[in-house]
Amino acid sequence: MSELAVSVVGMSKVYPVPFSRRAVVAVRELNLAIASGEVYGLLGPNGSGKSTTLKMILGLVPPSRGRAEIFGRASSDVASRESVGFLPESPYFPKYLTGTETLRFYGKLCGLRGERLRARVGELLELVGLASAADRRLSGYSKGMLQRIGLAQALVNEPRLLVLDEPTAGVDPAGSRDIRDLILRLKERGTTVLLSSHLLEQVQEVCDRVGILANGVLVREGRVEELLAVENQTELILENAPAELLMQIAALASTSGARLVEQRKPQTTLERLFLEATQPEDSSKRRTSNAEHRRSD
Amino acid sequence: MQQQQHRAFSFRRVAAIASITLTELTRLRVFYVLLIFALVLIGSSMFMARMTFQQEFQVLKDISLGAMSLFTSILAIVGTARLLPQDVDDRAVYTILAKPVPRFEYIAGKLGGVLSLLAISMLVMTALFCAVLFARQQAVLAATAHQMTGLPPQELSDALANVRASTFNSSLLPAILLVYIKAAIVASLTLFISTFATSTIFTIVVAVFVYFIGHLQATARAFWLSEHGGGWASRTFLAVVALLFPDLQLFDGVDHLVAGTAIPMALFVKTAALGCFYVVIYLLLATAVFSGKEL
Ligand SMILES: Nc1ncnc2c1ncn2[C@@H]1O[C@H](COP(=O)(O)OP(=O)(O)OP(=O)(O)O)[C@@H](O)[C@H]1O
Ligand SMILES: [Mg+2]
Repeated sequence: MSELAVSVVGMSKVYPVPFSRRAVVAVRELNLAIASGEVYGLLGPNGSGKSTTLKMILGLVPPSRGRAEIFGRASSDVASRESVGFLPESPYFPKYLTGTETLRFYGKLCGLRGERLRARVGELLELVGLASAADRRLSGYSKGMLQRIGLAQALVNEPRLLVLDEPTAGVDPAGSRDIRDLILRLKERGTTVLLSSHLLEQVQEVCDRVGILANGVLVREGRVEELLAVENQTELILENAPAELLMQIAALASTSGARLVEQRKPQTTLERLFLEATQPEDSSKRRTSNAEHRRSD
Repeated sequence: MQQQQHRAFSFRRVAAIASITLTELTRLRVFYVLLIFALVLIGSSMFMARMTFQQEFQVLKDISLGAMSLFTSILAIVGTARLLPQDVDDRAVYTILAKPVPRFEYIAGKLGGVLSLLAISMLVMTALFCAVLFARQQAVLAATAHQMTGLPPQELSDALANVRASTFNSSLLPAILLVYIKAAIVASLTLFISTFATSTIFTIVVAVFVYFIGHLQATARAFWLSEHGGGWASRTFLAVVALLFPDLQLFDGVDHLVAGTAIPMALFVKTAALGCFYVVIYLLLATAVFSGKEL
């Protein structure tokens, strides 16, 4: 197996409850091994410990027990965050800064400067579709726009590991599709992505592997296809099939000992319907015009 | 992208955080309200009732340096108290610390931002103060020359030199610098308090409390020593008190100025060094508490 991007061994987190002898166990005895280049999805209901896990991996919160490593370096070591990008859940940034200023600031923290910094900031604003809002203060940004700036900020140092806590929360369907495409593109370039979400469909589309957390315990883990495949069934989708053909198929199936479980018209997803209805022209135009409409100040 | 070796300390990162903090602070309205208030106070000292010119200049310096001291101390407390809680509320602290930024650099950057703001305000106030002082000096010089027409030139030039000496003298700059250093101590102390405080109000109340105790400390210490003598237990106790409550009165060089006595250079250097020591100690304490903090 290739180098591990993230390795978590026996990690637990216990939060004391003030004025009480009880304590909240946010994460219990967690083990994770994420290979370099993999897209890993952490799933789980609210309060199951997803964010806590990510913060411990990034060294923002010290684990009560166990340890975490990024590319072989302990998370408690500042240098382990050299090639990491993090988007926290519902991020807010200093409100008085513009989009450009915000990205320049994070770029500087990663050691970028001069022409390289300027170019990178422009590139990122373009990438997340905020070029037209670059010089407006973040106090006037919508929730989805803040999420996009957060994503751009996470990418500023071209990280080898990208950690996203609910990257699509508050983002419209087109935006979340952009984020999904972006993750797939990063994956092609070999970036490891670790994301948390409770939007199962999206996770299914991008992740190689998923882990499901419940009450701080990893209850399931595996490759998406393996977890989801119903091994003994096959789906056929036919176009313009006459009624006789369908009857023949049903007959054939019964003679060979198989059972036709269900016959139905496939449905388009609500997402596809939404996308078709909201963007008649090409998508790059849509983003800018959308941004323009939202803030007419 | 080519990755450079990570540096344990990078001045650039601290500067980036300091400059973002400075921007944040200059966008606070309270800063301008306070600054204008201080400037009005300094400006108004121009029109103070006066008996002799010595008294006039004394009052002028007293008011101006007092205004500077009060303004920078309030700003140091109010400006610093919200810095860390704000970032935690915004979750900006997560994004900053998820970059290769050591916590010391983060805290140092925040303090750097406040100190820059205090420096800028000091410069503005000092500029106005000097302008007022210069204007009054010129007026008094002209009046003196006018009154003394006909007297021997030696006497006149003595009188004029006397006026000059009681305006811009060698104690003025040290006194101003000490006001700044005092504000820096208050700022780093407030930053330290805010690392363990549970609310901004708590931070402000404690900082103000320490500020007042700090001004009374010297008197209290003298009293304690006279009561308890200088045994080692009593000295240790006083050292702890001195660490928690810096003797802020030391930095009020204005007393010297008003009394017309020069601030000895050695005393100034010693006091300034002590001030820097306090700033660094509080910075390190703040880093220590902040490093162990659950974010
Ligand atoms: N700073 C904290 N102090 C005390 N308890 C905490 C703290 N942070 C998280 N917890 C607790 O830890 C548990 C896990 O929280 P966490 O934020 O990791 O959940 P999550 O899976 O990210 O949920 P969500 O889907 O709502 O974002 C929760 O029970 C939460 O109350
Ligand atoms: Mg969460």
